[in-house]
Amino acid sequence: MFGVLLLLFGVAVGLYAQTFPDIPGQRYGAAAFPTAIAIGFAGCGLAMLVRGLRTASGPLFTRTEWTRKPGALTSVLVTILCVVAYILLARRVGFIPMAVVILIVLFRMLRVPWWQSLLLAVLAAFACDYVFRSILLVPLPFGLMPRLPW
Amino acid sequence: MNAILAAFELVFTWDVMLTLVSAALFGLLVGAVPGLTATMATALLVPLTFFMDPIPAVGAMVTCAAMAIFAGDIPGALLRIPGTPASAAYVDEAYAMTKRGEAETVLGACVLFSAIGGLFGTAVLIFAAPALAEVALKFSSQEYFWMALLGLTCAAFIGASSPVRGLVSLLIGLLISTVGLNNPAGVPRFTFGSTEMLAGIDFIPAMIGLFAVSEVFRTIAAGAPPWDTVQTRVGNIFRNWGGMVRTYWRQQLRGNVLGTAIGAIPGAGADVAAYVSYAVSRRFSKTPEKFGTGHVEGIIESTSANNSSLSSAWVPALVFGIPGDTITAIVIGVLYVKGINPGPTLFLFNPQTIYAVFLIFILANLLMIPLGWLVIKFAKHLLRTPRQVLMPIILVFCIVGAFASNNAAYGIILMLAFGVLGFFMEENQIPIAPCILGIVIGPILERNFVTTMIKADGSFIAFFDRPIAAGLGLFVLAIWLSMLVSAIRNRRRGDLDEALS
Repeated sequence: MFGVLLLLFGVAVGLYAQTFPDIPGQRYGAAAFPTAIAIGFAGCGLAMLVRGLRTASGPLFTRTEWTRKPGALTSVLVTILCVVAYILLARRVGFIPMAVVILIVLFRMLRVPWWQSLLLAVLAAFACDYVFRSILLVPLPFGLMPRLPW
Repeated sequence: MNAILAAFELVFTWDVMLTLVSAALFGLLVGAVPGLTATMATALLVPLTFFMDPIPAVGAMVTCAAMAIFAGDIPGALLRIPGTPASAAYVDEAYAMTKRGEAETVLGACVLFSAIGGLFGTAVLIFAAPALAEVALKFSSQEYFWMALLGLTCAAFIGASSPVRGLVSLLIGLLISTVGLNNPAGVPRFTFGSTEMLAGIDFIPAMIGLFAVSEVFRTIAAGAPPWDTVQTRVGNIFRNWGGMVRTYWRQQLRGNVLGTAIGAIPGAGADVAAYVSYAVSRRFSKTPEKFGTGHVEGIIESTSANNSSLSSAWVPALVFGIPGDTITAIVIGVLYVKGINPGPTLFLFNPQTIYAVFLIFILANLLMIPLGWLVIKFAKHLLRTPRQVLMPIILVFCIVGAFASNNAAYGIILMLAFGVLGFFMEENQIPIAPCILGIVIGPILERNFVTTMIKADGSFIAFFDRPIAAGLGLFVLAIWLSMLVSAIRNRRRGDLDEALS
C-alpha cells in the first residue's frame, strides 16, 4: 500500500520536474536532480510493492498498537489543532494568553489535576515570554495583553 | 601560536563559561529524560543560539550534545529505558547491574568512560582535522560530489534497519532540499506560488518539527504514561574507577578507536558506534557468556565509543562541510547562519575559531565528570518529573523556537508540517536521521554535480579524471556493489529457508 503511494508520488514529482526550464546550452539543469529523486522514489515504491506482493497475506493497512487505543488519535489531532490555532490567532490574541490556553488544554487532556494545570500553564507561559521576549528580544505578538513592565 | 592565544581569549570569558555550564545542565536534563534525544536537545538550543556570538553558540551545542549522550545512560541504567538512542545498545546490561545493586558502578563507569572517550575523539579531531584540511584544499567539485554521495550512502544504509526505508527517508530529505530558488539554475522549484517557499525550506523549524514536535505527538498519543519507578539509591560512583581502568583499558581503547572511526564516517553517528562496539566487545571478550547478565565490560566499550564518535563526527563537518551525524548536521546549519562557512578554508582564515572549538570540546568533556556526578545524585527526582507536564511545555517552547528562526508564523507552519511528517515516518518505521542528512547534503551534491557537468560539458568521465576523485568514486561504487551482493545473498538464503520450512 505504502509502495503504491510512493510509486505514484515518484511519478508525480518526475512529471512536475520536467516543467523546469533548462540552463541554456547545458544538458543538466534544474530538472536533473528532482528527476533523479523521482526515479528513486518510484524505485523504492516498486521494491516495497514487490516485497508486499510476495509475502501477500497481510492487510493493506496495518494499524499500530496505539491507534487502536481509544482517544489516542483524538489527542494527536487536538495537539495539531492547538498549533494551528496558535498560527491563526496568536497575532490577534497575543503570545501569553494563547500559550496559557494551549497548555491548559493539553495538560487537562493528559489528566493533570486542575489546579496544577492552571498554575503550571501561567508560570510556563510567563517564563517563556520572559526568556524569549525580554532576554532574547524575539518579537512575540502582544495581542490583547498589555505591555508587561519588564 | 597567536591563533591559539586568541582562541584562549575567545573561550575563557565569563559569558562563554556561563553559557557552557548552562548548556551542559540543559543537555544533562534533556538527555536524562527518556524519549528526549541528544539531537532534540541540540535542536531546541538552536533558537537560543541566534542571539549569541559564534563561539558561545557553537560551544553551547558541543557541550549540550556531549552531556546529553552521557546522560542517556542514566535512565537506561535506572529504568531500562534508554535516554537517547546511543544508549540503547547496552541498556539491558546496565539495568541488570542496577538490579544487582551495582548502580553506582555502572553509572560511575558511564561518566568516566564517556569523558575519556570524548577526550580521545577530541584528540583525533585536533590532529586529524588540520591535516585533512590540507588535502581538502586540493578538492574540486568532483571530489566534493563523491564525498557528499559517500555521506548519503552511509546515512541511508548504515543506521537503518531496512535499506529501502532508509533510502525513502533520504529521498524525502533530498526532495525537501530542492525546494526554492537556491539551485544552480536559479529556477523556483516546488514553491507552488508561495513567496516564503522561494527561500527554501528553513532548516531550523524543520529540525525542531522532525525531532521535537514528532516526539511530543508520539508521547501524547500514548497518553504520556508515567515511568515505573525503581529503587535508586546511588552510592559513591567514584568507587571502582581505578580497578575498572586497570582491568578494562584494552576494551576502553578499542571502543575509543572504533567510535572515533565510525564517527568520522559522514552519516554514521553515536548510536551506530555504540551498537557496533558492543557487538565487537562481546565477540572478543574472554567471557562472552557473562554478557547480558550485568557485566560491565561491554558497557565500558560502547559508552567509550558513543562519546568518542560525537567528537570525531566533527572531522568531516569542519573539514568538508559534510555532517558526520544528525547533531553536526544541525550545527552546520547554525555555522552558516553565524557566517562561519565550514570547509578547509576555515582552517586558513579563521584558525582561532577552530582552536576555540577544540578548547570547548576539551572543557566540555572535563565538565562532564563533576556535572555528571551532580545529575546522578539528582536522578531520582529528575525521573519523577511527569511526562504529561513536560510534553505540553516542550510544545510551547518549540512554537516559540520556530517563530524565532525568522520572526514569522511561516516558521511555525513549517514546524507543524515537519512534526506531522516525522510522526508519520516513525510510525511507518522510516528512520528520521537520513532525511536530515539529505536536507543538508542535498544542495552540496546537486551543486557539485551540476558544476562538474558544466566544466566537463556533460561528460561523466570527469568524475574519474582526477586521482582523488577516482579513488573516492571507486570506493563509493565498491560500497554499493558490496551492498547489492549482500542483499542478493540474503534473498537467496531467505528463499532457501522458505524451501526448507
